[in-house]
Amino acid sequence: MSVKVVTDSVADLPPEVVQELGITVIPLNVRFGQKVYRDGIDLTAEQFYRELTSSKVFPVTSVPSPATFATAYEKLAGETDEILVIMLSSTLSATYEVAVQSIGLMKHKCRVEVIDSRSAVMAQGFLVIHAARAAAAGATMEELIEMVRRDIPRVDLRAAFDTLEYLRRGGRIGAAQALLGAALKINPIITMKNGLVEPVARTRSRKKAIEQLYKFIASYKKIEELAVEEAACPEDADSLTDRLGGLFPKERIYRTKTTPVIGAHTGPGLLLVAVMGDK
Amino acid sequence: MFAAATGWLEKSSADIDALNVFPVPDGDTGTNMLLTMRSTIEEAYRAPDRSAAAVAQAMAKGALMGARGNSGVILSQILRGLAQNLAAKESFNAADLASALQESSVMAYKGISNPVEGTMLTVIKDVAKAVAAEVASNGRDLVSVMEAAVNAAGESVANTPNLLEVLREAGVVDAGGQGLHTILDGALRYLRGEMEQMRFRKPQIIITDLHATKLPQMIAADEVPYGYCTEFLLKGEKLDTDKIKKKLEKKGESLIVVGDDSAARIHIHTLEPGDIIAYASSLGTLHQVSIRNMDEQHQDYLEMQKAKGPAVDTAIVAVVAGEGLADVFTSLGVTAIVPGGQTMNPSTKDLLQAVEGVASDKVIILPNNKNIIATASQVQSLTEKKIEVVPTTTIPQGVAALLAFDYEADLEANISIMARAISAIKTVEICRAVRSAKLGDLQIRKKQPIGFLDGDLVAVGESALEVLNKMLSKLDLNKIEVITIYYGDDTKSEEAEQVASDIRNRYPQLQIEVVKGGQPHYNYIISIE
Repeated sequence: MSVKVVTDSVADLPPEVVQELGITVIPLNVRFGQKVYRDGIDLTAEQFYRELTSSKVFPVTSVPSPATFATAYEKLAGETDEILVIMLSSTLSATYEVAVQSIGLMKHKCRVEVIDSRSAVMAQGFLVIHAARAAAAGATMEELIEMVRRDIPRVDLRAAFDTLEYLRRGGRIGAAQALLGAALKINPIITMKNGLVEPVARTRSRKKAIEQLYKFIASYKKIEELAVEEAACPEDADSLTDRLGGLFPKERIYRTKTTPVIGAHTGPGLLLVAVMGDK
Repeated sequence: MFAAATGWLEKSSADIDALNVFPVPDGDTGTNMLLTMRSTIEEAYRAPDRSAAAVAQAMAKGALMGARGNSGVILSQILRGLAQNLAAKESFNAADLASALQESSVMAYKGISNPVEGTMLTVIKDVAKAVAAEVASNGRDLVSVMEAAVNAAGESVANTPNLLEVLREAGVVDAGGQGLHTILDGALRYLRGEMEQMRFRKPQIIITDLHATKLPQMIAADEVPYGYCTEFLLKGEKLDTDKIKKKLEKKGESLIVVGDDSAARIHIHTLEPGDIIAYASSLGTLHQVSIRNMDEQHQDYLEMQKAKGPAVDTAIVAVVAGEGLADVFTSLGVTAIVPGGQTMNPSTKDLLQAVEGVASDKVIILPNNKNIIATASQVQSLTEKKIEVVPTTTIPQGVAALLAFDYEADLEANISIMARAISAIKTVEICRAVRSAKLGDLQIRKKQPIGFLDGDLVAVGESALEVLNKMLSKLDLNKIEVITIYYGDDTKSEEAEQVASDIRNRYPQLQIEVVKGGQPHYNYIISIE
């Protein structure tokens, strides 16, 4: 019986990858006023960004309920006796905690291991994809845990923001608050370091910001996985993907939209590159 | 009235947090006082009747139950003093208030095992004194008595740095005292019927005219670790607060024991919280127990202070003239500004003072003028600190260097990154000719607008716009994305907007930004990147 892999909607995995690798995705929730949506299920990225730019209400996100996890664990316990759960950074969300607590709610006997990815978006997604592939190939739980731990320092991301207002309002801005309040228009670049949001650079135009994302990827010696993600700025993402095609086979670049839960904290105009590899 | 005061406090609690350096620089005084007042008000609404005695009693109870932190506990003592003095009163007048505040002051001092002047204690004492004097001389009007209270509080708060060394070093007033002033001020505004104005305004924080000799990080770093901040509510029968106080006095610092024989709030900074809890639980039941590791609290505070500036261990000092430009540099992370520029070069001493005044051992200087680079370079030989001068000759170069500052890189790497950023910038400066001249092909009349490109005089025209357009036409605009126009002190914003919209029409692909630089001498400083 192979190990089953579980993650959350923040990993931004494309549906076809989820299906192909048999990954279970637990949705976080997005609330617009009184309406609650399950991330990526009741609310697609397209609908969300349309609503985000038109709605006067500011979206709020919340963690999945313990019951959501328990039901998913219970279902998988019928198919396997080992489950590996890879969650978004515990510094950004309590989802990791809920995933751990929910183990206690299971009736079936099944081993569940939860790993804090210290990351998010497809940087987290790559950890999940690699684990799921190895699990399908027969890797044991110990081997998988060892592999994910080894891979965590090998994933990284750079994100170009149009505004830091959403990140600030959502309380996730961390050290990047140093970039707030500039008396000039700034296009900030942000990353995550050990689970925390950190500032990288301040550029003076969108074009320069995108150039920085490109240079970041170009600085890699070896690229294993690459993703270009966007929140309501498909043209920028497409042209960046075209350029990155010169560094890495274009057909292997994941070109996705960030999930609504991420979008609620970044606002529209977010363009990011996520990578797994060696510098 | 107190509810209004609480609302008023809420608006400035974050500002008060930022003042907090004593007794522990953990930056939570405003929040603690606010939470205490909230609990006070909630309880006030539960008072059995509307008499002064019942409401004051309920407030004192609410404050005691909800008191958080040092400042919250002292606040609860103040309210308890009020309640005791108003115990038999149906309503109260100015004289009653004066005598009640006197009682508050006494109670506040009584609650603290080691009272320190220059804190909330001093402020309530001064307020009580002023109110008594006001009643004695002018009598009965409640509003004038509150005015006297607020004025006395304001003066007393402003004086706190003179009484307490640590406040003087930080160049701030006492946070708890400030909180008390804000509460009294809120109450006064309510009495005056200023509810509407209060909705749209924010309380003013009293500013000391002393300058900080140390930055907040340094003060925090000077203090030694203190173990655990232990706080709880003890409920029981026939509690003897004096005895408890005596028993705990040697167990730690910042001890506060307040309450009555049925409930007491205890706050102490101790290395052995277990002993305290064990002792207290032998006397009654414990509620709202909070034990926080203050080393962590302290670390959080340091982080909070650090997060305010981008450069944690490297400070940047920039030479800038003009208020708007100073704002631009400060907002982008410059630690200290030395006023100066064209025709007003700062001295080596000015720069040295700025360098010595910042908390970091590594300092980058941005001279932003050709004639200041040499002066800046001399600073290195006069200080123990490691100084690097990034040779910026114009304001736009300074901004570009600052923006290029890399949070992840070390000092050496940053110097080369910043130097590289300078070369990607073109600077246009436009001012009026001080005299007529002939320079190469250029015939210049006195007071005519003239334009410099990276320091070289290259154009003259009838208007600033004409000069700018002449200069832009010579540049390769395909490589340009952003133009930032900083207009000077003598230039009208309409004119600057006119120049900007003309460029926008001519070059719609460019991003044009107009900023009030407020600089002397130059009508326009323009960054082209």
